[in-house]
Amino acid sequence: MQTLLEDSQHAGVRLETWKHLFGFAQAYKPLMGKVALFAFGTGLADISFPLVTKDLVDAITGWREQGSGASPALGGYVWAYLGLTLLLATCVHGFIRSVGRLKTSVSADIRRAGFANLQRLEFAYYDERAAGWLMARMTGDCERLANIMAWGLLDVLWSSTFLVGIASVLLVLNWKLGLLVLTVVPLLAYASRAFQKRILLTSRRIRKIASGITADFNESIMGVLTTKIFSQQGPQAAQFSIRVDELYQSSVRNALLSALYLPAVLTIGSLATAMVLVRGGYAVSLGSMGLGTLVAFLAYTRLMFEPLQQLAHIFSELQMAQASGERIVELLTREPAIQDSESVQSAVQAQKEHPVPGRAEDGGPIEVGAIEFENVSFAYGAGQGGDKQVLSDVQVRIEPGETVALVGSTGGGKTTLISLLCRFYEPTAGRITLGGIDLQARSLHWVQSIFGVVLQDPYLFRGSVRENIRYGQLDASDAEVEAAASLVGAHEMLLALPGGYDFDVGEGGLRLSQGQRQLVSFARALLKNPAVLIMDEATSNIDTQTERNIQQALHKVLQGRTSFVIAHRLSTIERADRILVIEGGRILEQGTHSELLAKRGRYFDLLHHQGLEATGTKASDWELGAIRPD
Amino acid sequence: MVSMAIGILLVFLVPKISGQIIDGFPAQAVGAAAGSAGAFVPPAWLEQLTQFLGLSGGTATWLTLTGLLVVCLTAAAGAFQYLRGRLAAQASEGILRSLRMQLYRHLMELPAEAFDRADTGDLVQRCTSDVDTVRLFLSTQVVEIGRAVMLVACSLPLMFALDVRLTWVSISLIPIILGFSMIFFRRLTRAFQAADEAEGRMTSVLQENLTGIRVVRSFGRQDHEEAKFEVANGDHRDRTQHLFRVLALFWSLSDVLCLSQLGLVLFAGAHWTMAGSMTLGTLVAFTQYSALVIWPVRQMGRILVDAGKAGVSLKRLTEILDQAEEAPSMAGGPTGPLSGKGALSLRGVSFRFPVAPSMDGAPVSGEAERDRQGWVLQDVDLELRPGQTLGLVGPPGSGKSALVQLLLGLYDYQAPHGRGSIQLDGVEIASLDRHALRSQVAAVLQNPFLFAKSIESNLRVGHCEAERDELRTATEAASLHSSIESFESGYDTLIGERGVTLSGGQKQRMAIARALLKPAPVLILDDALSAVDHQTEQQILAALKARAGQQTTIVISHRLSSVAHADEIVVLNAGRIVERGCHQQLIASQGAYAHLWHLQHPDPGARKPGPVPTRSHPPTVQP
Repeated sequence: MQTLLEDSQHAGVRLETWKHLFGFAQAYKPLMGKVALFAFGTGLADISFPLVTKDLVDAITGWREQGSGASPALGGYVWAYLGLTLLLATCVHGFIRSVGRLKTSVSADIRRAGFANLQRLEFAYYDERAAGWLMARMTGDCERLANIMAWGLLDVLWSSTFLVGIASVLLVLNWKLGLLVLTVVPLLAYASRAFQKRILLTSRRIRKIASGITADFNESIMGVLTTKIFSQQGPQAAQFSIRVDELYQSSVRNALLSALYLPAVLTIGSLATAMVLVRGGYAVSLGSMGLGTLVAFLAYTRLMFEPLQQLAHIFSELQMAQASGERIVELLTREPAIQDSESVQSAVQAQKEHPVPGRAEDGGPIEVGAIEFENVSFAYGAGQGGDKQVLSDVQVRIEPGETVALVGSTGGGKTTLISLLCRFYEPTAGRITLGGIDLQARSLHWVQSIFGVVLQDPYLFRGSVRENIRYGQLDASDAEVEAAASLVGAHEMLLALPGGYDFDVGEGGLRLSQGQRQLVSFARALLKNPAVLIMDEATSNIDTQTERNIQQALHKVLQGRTSFVIAHRLSTIERADRILVIEGGRILEQGTHSELLAKRGRYFDLLHHQGLEATGTKASDWELGAIRPD
Repeated sequence: MVSMAIGILLVFLVPKISGQIIDGFPAQAVGAAAGSAGAFVPPAWLEQLTQFLGLSGGTATWLTLTGLLVVCLTAAAGAFQYLRGRLAAQASEGILRSLRMQLYRHLMELPAEAFDRADTGDLVQRCTSDVDTVRLFLSTQVVEIGRAVMLVACSLPLMFALDVRLTWVSISLIPIILGFSMIFFRRLTRAFQAADEAEGRMTSVLQENLTGIRVVRSFGRQDHEEAKFEVANGDHRDRTQHLFRVLALFWSLSDVLCLSQLGLVLFAGAHWTMAGSMTLGTLVAFTQYSALVIWPVRQMGRILVDAGKAGVSLKRLTEILDQAEEAPSMAGGPTGPLSGKGALSLRGVSFRFPVAPSMDGAPVSGEAERDRQGWVLQDVDLELRPGQTLGLVGPPGSGKSALVQLLLGLYDYQAPHGRGSIQLDGVEIASLDRHALRSQVAAVLQNPFLFAKSIESNLRVGHCEAERDELRTATEAASLHSSIESFESGYDTLIGERGVTLSGGQKQRMAIARALLKPAPVLILDDALSAVDHQTEQQILAALKARAGQQTTIVISHRLSSVAHADEIVVLNAGRIVERGCHQQLIASQGAYAHLWHLQHPDPGARKPGPVPTRSHPPTVQP
């Protein structure tokens, strides 16, 4: 999977990719015009400076040859020089500003479009790609492409202006010498291109090794205790040093190429200087060319390699960025596999324009009704050859208000069942109905609005506790937020935090304990007052008080609400109206606790041999009083 | 340094030669009408060179020679320039290489408490991005500064020798340019910082959205998320645009200053040339010299900004490097060789976790943190003869894992963090070299960690010189051999993103096999069987029983069936031993152990109301 997504080497530049990307720049036509204008102006000013010097030198030599008369007035030249300086400064100011605006606007637009599409894409898309990979596309790649587009536009225009300008000036001044000097241009172009390509290739290699080093640091820090207890510091460091050496080699190689490049093109350029000195010098000595022209030629030969370098660089960049470009375009244009069908979309539209009272936003009934799985099967990665059957032929009907406990081994399919119900995935066969209506015939937004989900290790967003609970219903008042927290018995605990409800939970909510996180996410789900509650009980260490709060809250909340609980605790299971034992993707047994025990089947086994997954991991399982340490 | 100087000198020669050639021409003004080649007067050195080479003089020869000279000089200067680049790259990349290695080695040697609260992402960021910022500064700006200094140092004498007045003119604006850079340095730094911070905020919104995508979807909050991102994204855009505006102003104004400087040279030179006090060639050479001097000076603002950034990064790195490493042993030196029998004795051991100062000073809340502040172990006495098995059970937070960490020398149990005595084969472990201590203990930690290497390399972490059949014996004991054989590449299969993803149970079994492979007299399994199913658990326990007597073994588990066979079972609560004895004794005493045993092994025949046959539903609240 990973190899499939890795950088592939691209030989050429594919135009469609760039056409699509430049579509984002289309919105900024006036800005692009400005960039072009300033690039042109800068090129013009750059070319003109040596001309002022040339005229000045010509004037001085001319005056000397006459041997008499008033010395030429400098005033005119000073004004011309000043004018050019101002022109150049204005253009430089202008192009930095407009390129900056263009670049930032385009990258922000690409990112916005990418983000919007990421919100629509199905879970399977996320399963195949690590969050870090997507991050890299949305940050590094985006920035890189916008840079290439904006600076590329400037550089191409400036370089062409400059190059064409120099060529014309040289040819006008002295076409024979000009032609001679221009013979080095192909040489310079060739050398620039060859070097730039290699430099970019090694840069790319450096980036790859550097990401390996990041991974090494990450792994070593996470596994530091293992390294310590096996005294592996030596071997680990030895392995790391191989990678660091590799980076050293590539970085030095890259630097050497750059260090070689400039002298190489300067030497090639000096060929032109030499030719100018020899041929031009001869012409001057014959009196067929002015000294000023010679000076100008000398100046221009030193300037020639710069636009060529820029052009070579941009072209190589374009080539190297091809892969990034394709990845972004793929991210932007990919159609979500799960989305509202056309008929659902038009139903939503109709309800919006002519609302029928008592109907949901998609025109369907507001009540959820009975939930039915009709011969539902599911395989991850279906259609990509990598079929991994997770659910087979699941058939079950849950009445409104029923509390269902799901039990079974890890990997048996409990979580998948829930994910299908929330329409995070689409069944590969069969269908799910709510109140007799196919889930796919309802709008995604409505489906998402009816479920309240509490995950085992719930994710909280950076920000205050209050903001996190309010995520359940964005327009809830502070009182409503606190009422939801009270309902799950978290109010006191939250007040005890520094700052109370304003306590900043930190990245991923990690400044709270797992139990606290689950309580907050419980409150978040309940604030939404969902028609169906879905909960994955926490298995790992939760302190007694938090555990007790969760249990009491569950008791209140489950009453009369359709709910699914992936249960790890006996008390929860005993309270359920029905228990589904799920193993190997099938519902093996169902019934109440006593019915299933009497059956002496899988449920009995689970309870007898394994004491469920988590008995004993909670403090309250132990008949021990709270002995407080001194 | 030398190559830099020579390179610069050579670079300076070319304009001088061109200048002298140009100066050769004015003489032609006299004989312009004749148009003879002889009108060109070569500089003295050129004539000498011509004679030295045995060539006849003449404009064509002189000019051709000059042309060749220019090419050779440029090439030679280039060679030195290359040498300089090479040395600079080797120096800066070399420094970076050792910095990276130093960071890595240091991290591996930091005590366990340094990682308790550290955020892995932040540490990795410091070790990569911050190192990179320093690298960028070292490899570009430091070299640039060195070059600028050398350039000025070399060029000024040359220029003074050529024309004193014009030299003063050509450096007259430099103080102004420097002052201007200083002023902009602050503005630029602020603008860069604002843009970086905005980028950080945008990245974190993005990251949170991608990591919390399940939450976003289950609440149908896509629109809200897009609005949130739009704010962060727009803010990043606006702040970066502001940065560009500052940059635009900075570069264009510094262009004006630098061009004015060049203009001053040009026009003052022209004036003096016409006044006859200077040659035209000197003027032409000077315009090129002052350009060489002025451009590095112009970079100063940028250099200052980068230096500021590098300083911040360096500070973040020294924060890591300044933390004390784990001492080789907790106290004193080793006290004689170990017998390697595996007798363990704990007397009156009390312990509480040291609290490492957090690097960013962020307060931490929650039970998890509060629990760490009290005593984790109190007056624990244990006696294990070589080859005995101890079962260690108790509710979460009762101190089981802390005990393991003490035995592994991960924490120091001596004052001020604790008291008592822990002896391995009669030697106080605090006096042992940490590596020597750890070589005596093979352990499977909670949430075992596997490296992203092949299965075989992971196993060999336990014992790198193990024979093939030893590997197999270990994996068979851990009930893992057949699973490994079922992988396409068997023992060479890579673990992790680039290879197979192991299930929780497989990971635990890998860690068990790795520990079994390690030839150590003490074996510790900390909750090592929690993710394997009942049948496999029984197989592994049977294999362990078959080894009984070879290794002193400590088994920690929440599943009592895993410890029932132990010679002694100890129940910990809040750091104290509350029950101890063998399985039969503990069941007979009807304490906490017996209660949980019945909870985990309900006898369905006897049950009616609750899960425990002999008593009513277990109270969840205890006074």
